[in-house]
Amino acid sequence: MEIDFLVTVLLSSLSSAAILLIAAMGLAVVFGLMGVINLAHSEFLMMGAYAALTITKAGVPYLLSIPIAVAITMAIGAVVEILIISRLYGRLFDTMLATWGLSMVLLQLAVLLFGTATPSINLPQFNISIGDYQLAGYPLILIGVAVIMLILIYLLMTKTTYGMQARASIQEPEMAQAIGIESSRVNTFTFALGCGLAGFAGAVLLPIIPATPSMGMAFAVKSFLAVVVAGPVALTGTALTAIGLGGGASITASLLTSVAGEVFFFIITAVLLWRYPMGISAKWRRKL
Amino acid sequence: MSFSKKIHQSSGLIFPAVAVIMALALSTIMDPYLAFIATSWVIFGLLGLSLDIVWGRGGFLSLGQTAFYGLGGYFGSVVAINLAPITGNSLIWALPAGAIFGAIAAGLLGYIIFYARMGALQSTILSYTFTLLLWSVTQSFKMNIGEASISGDSGLSNIPGIILGFDPQAQTLNPNTSFAVVVIISAIIYFITRWLMRSHFGRIIDCIRIDHEKTELLGYDVRKFKLANFVFSGAVAGLAGALFALWSNFLNPSIFSVQEALLIPIYVLVGGLGTLAGPFVGALVIGALSFFLGTEAGGQTTLILGIILIILVLFFKNGLLGTLNALWQKYLPDPNEATRNSGAVQIDANVLQHILKDAEKQAGPAKSLVSTSLFKQFGGIIPVNKVSRNFQPGQPYSLIGPNGAGKSSFLKTCIGMYLPEEGHIYLGDVEISQMRIFDRVKNGMGVKNQKPQVFGELTVINNLWTAAFSQTRSNAKALEISHKILTMLGLSAHANVQASALSHGQQQWLDIGVVLCLAPRVVLLDEPAAGMTNEETRELSLLIRTLARHTTVVVVEHDMEFVRTLEGHVTVLHQGEVFAEGDIQTLRADDRVLDIYLGRRNHV
Repeated sequence: MEIDFLVTVLLSSLSSAAILLIAAMGLAVVFGLMGVINLAHSEFLMMGAYAALTITKAGVPYLLSIPIAVAITMAIGAVVEILIISRLYGRLFDTMLATWGLSMVLLQLAVLLFGTATPSINLPQFNISIGDYQLAGYPLILIGVAVIMLILIYLLMTKTTYGMQARASIQEPEMAQAIGIESSRVNTFTFALGCGLAGFAGAVLLPIIPATPSMGMAFAVKSFLAVVVAGPVALTGTALTAIGLGGGASITASLLTSVAGEVFFFIITAVLLWRYPMGISAKWRRKL
Repeated sequence: MSFSKKIHQSSGLIFPAVAVIMALALSTIMDPYLAFIATSWVIFGLLGLSLDIVWGRGGFLSLGQTAFYGLGGYFGSVVAINLAPITGNSLIWALPAGAIFGAIAAGLLGYIIFYARMGALQSTILSYTFTLLLWSVTQSFKMNIGEASISGDSGLSNIPGIILGFDPQAQTLNPNTSFAVVVIISAIIYFITRWLMRSHFGRIIDCIRIDHEKTELLGYDVRKFKLANFVFSGAVAGLAGALFALWSNFLNPSIFSVQEALLIPIYVLVGGLGTLAGPFVGALVIGALSFFLGTEAGGQTTLILGIILIILVLFFKNGLLGTLNALWQKYLPDPNEATRNSGAVQIDANVLQHILKDAEKQAGPAKSLVSTSLFKQFGGIIPVNKVSRNFQPGQPYSLIGPNGAGKSSFLKTCIGMYLPEEGHIYLGDVEISQMRIFDRVKNGMGVKNQKPQVFGELTVINNLWTAAFSQTRSNAKALEISHKILTMLGLSAHANVQASALSHGQQQWLDIGVVLCLAPRVVLLDEPAAGMTNEETRELSLLIRTLARHTTVVVVEHDMEFVRTLEGHVTVLHQGEVFAEGDIQTLRADDRVLDIYLGRRNHV
C-alpha cells in the first residue's frame, strides 16, 4: 500500500476523531465535574450551529460568530442549570429525565423557529492534495482546533481559581464546601461551560455539517458512549476514547465500508464496557 | 383489621378489576372513533407497565423499552402477515412472537449489562443508545420475509388487524370489540405481573432495588434475578408492540424514535412509579388530554410532553397513584405503631442454642476459614500483605489494629468484595479465593457489615424471611426459621413493622438475626458493637460466644473492652501484615502493640 494512501487515511481518521472529541467535550466536562449527564447536549450543539448561522447571515464574519454562539449557549446553559439542574443535585437519573424532556422541547422549538430545511453558509472550501488523493481542508483544521480546545480546558482547570474550585468540588465535595467554596455557583458555571462547549462544537462544525434541528443527534450516540466508556476521569478519558473509538471507526470505514466503521465503534464500545463496567478510567488515580 | 385497611391492601386488585369491568361496559356504547383511539392508550399503558417492572420495581431506568416494543412489533407483524391468513386468528401469532422477540432482545442487552456488572449510568446510557441505534438502522433496513416486506423508512404495511375467529375468512374486529379485546389482554398481563411482583421473585427484586449488595450477601445471584426481570419486561414490551402493530396495521422506524421513547417514563411518572397500575392511568390521562385538547395543540405534542416531563421530575415525583396512596395511608392506623413501646433487646441463650443446633442439622457442621499468604494491592498501597490465618470453630477470633491496619480489607477479601492477587482462601475444603460473593454465602459464609444493612421498606419478618429463603428455598421452612429468630431477638411485637422504623440498635440486631437466618457455617462480623449501648454490647458478647461454640466466628473490632469479654483468640494487624497474636491479656502487656496503637515512634 502506498504511503500517500496511508497518510490520507490517517489524516482523515484523525479529523473524524477530532470532530467527535469537539462534539463530546462539553458533555465530558459536565459529567466529569458534576457527575451529571446532559441529555440535551445535542440540542445545545444544534443551538450553537443556528446561532452562528443566524449571526453570519446578518453580516458578521463567520469567525466572529463563533464566540457569540458560545456566549449565547453558555447563557442558556446557565439559566437551565439554575432553573432545573440545581434542583436535582444527587438525583442523577432525574437529571437525565429532565434534560431529556428539555432536549425534546429545544428540538421542537428549533423546528418551529427555523423549519426543517437546511440553509447553509457559503464558506470557501479548499482541498489539500497528497499525491493522487484530495482531502477537504476544513476537517484538517479541526484537528488543530481540537488540540487547542483540549489545552485551553486543561489550563482553565489547572491554572484558574474556578478550575481549582471545580476540581476540589468533585474530589472532596464536603471538604470543598467546608473551606467556603460555593459549589452551586461553581456548578452553574461548569454546566454553562459544558453548554458553551457544545455551542462551540455546533458553530465550528457548521461549515461541514449543515444546521438542522436534529443535527445534534448524529453526534449524540457516539458522544454519550465516548463519555460513558471514559468513566469518572472524564476529560482525559474522553480524549482517549474519542481518539480511539472515533479514529478506529474511521480507519475501519476507509479500509472497508462505512457500515464496518459503525460496527467497529459499537463492538469496541461493548467490549470496553464489558471489560470496564464503570468506564476505563474507574481505577485511575488522576482526577481530570 | 379495619375495612379501609383491607381494601387498601388489595387495592391493586380491586380498582383495576373495577376499571376493567367499566371499560368493557363502555366498549359497547362508545363512539367507534374514540374506541379506536382509546385502544392505543391501553397499549401504551402496557408499554408503560414494562418500564415500571424494570424501573419502579427493579430499580434500573431502561430507556430501551421502545426498542423491545418496536422489535416485538416488527417481528410479531412479520409472523402474523405470513401465518394469520391460514388460521384467521392473528393474535395467536403476533402476540407470542412479539413477546418472545422482545424477551430475546432484552435478554441479550440485559446479559451484557448485568453480567458485566455495569454501573447504573452505563446501563441507562447503553439502553438509550440501543434505541437510537435501532432507529438509525431501521431507516434503511430492507428485507422481504415471505409476504411481509420491510422497506426502510417507508415501513411495513399490510399488517392484519385483530382477528379472533379461527377461519381464513374471519373478519377483523370492529373498533369497539378490538378495544374490549385489548383491555382484556392488558388486564391479564397486569394481573400476571402483579402476581409475579408479590411472589417470592418479586420480593427478591424489591430487595435488589433497595440494597443490591445486601441481597448478594444473602446468597442470591443478583445478576440472574435482574436479567430475569428485564427479560420479563422485554416480553411485556414486545407483546405491547405486537398489539400496537395489529391496531395500526402499519409500522415504521418512528416507533424507535426518541419522541416515542420519551413518552414511556412520562406515563410511568404521571401514574406513579412502582405502582404497576400507574402507567395505565398515566397513558389514559396523557392520551385523553391530547385527544380532548384537540388538534390546535396536536402539532406541538412533543413540546408539551417535554415540558410535562420536566415538571413531573421537578415537582411530582410520586405521580397520581403515589399521591393518592400517601393520602389514604394518613387515615390508616400506623403499621409502625409497635416501635413506640419497645425495650432493650435481650438474648435468650437457650433459644439461641436451639437455633444453632437446628442450623447445624440443616447446613452441616461448622467449617473452618483458612487464608494462606493472602495478598491484595491497590496501586502502591498493600492493605493485605501475605496474611495467613486459620480460623476454627470453638472460640471467637478477633482482628484488631489501628486505623488503616487492613482489618476491613482482609475481611472484604474473605467476603469476595475484593479479589486477592495472590494467596488462597478456603472455606472448609472448598477454595473460594476467586468465587463470587453469593457463591461464598451459599457455601456457608455469613457476613454482617459495620452499618446495619436491612431492607427498610420490608417488614421485619420479611427481612428475616428473605435470608432464610435463600438458604432453604422453601417458604414454610423459611417462615419457621424466621419466626424462631424473631423470638430469640425479642422482636416478636415488631414482626410487621417496617425495618426502617426500628431504632439504630434494633436494626443492628435485626441484621445479626438476618445473618443467623442463613444458617452460616462461618460468620464474619465487622465492628458489630459500633453504636450499641453498654447493655446491648454485653448481650452481643454473649451471643458471639454462644455462636462460636457452633460455628467459626471472626470479629473485626475497635472496642478493646468488648474484645476482652469475647475471651477468644486475637490477631493484631498492622500495615496489612499480621503483627502479633495471642489472647488479649498477653497482647495488652506487649509493648510493641501499645506502640502501634499509641503511635509511639519505635514501630511506626
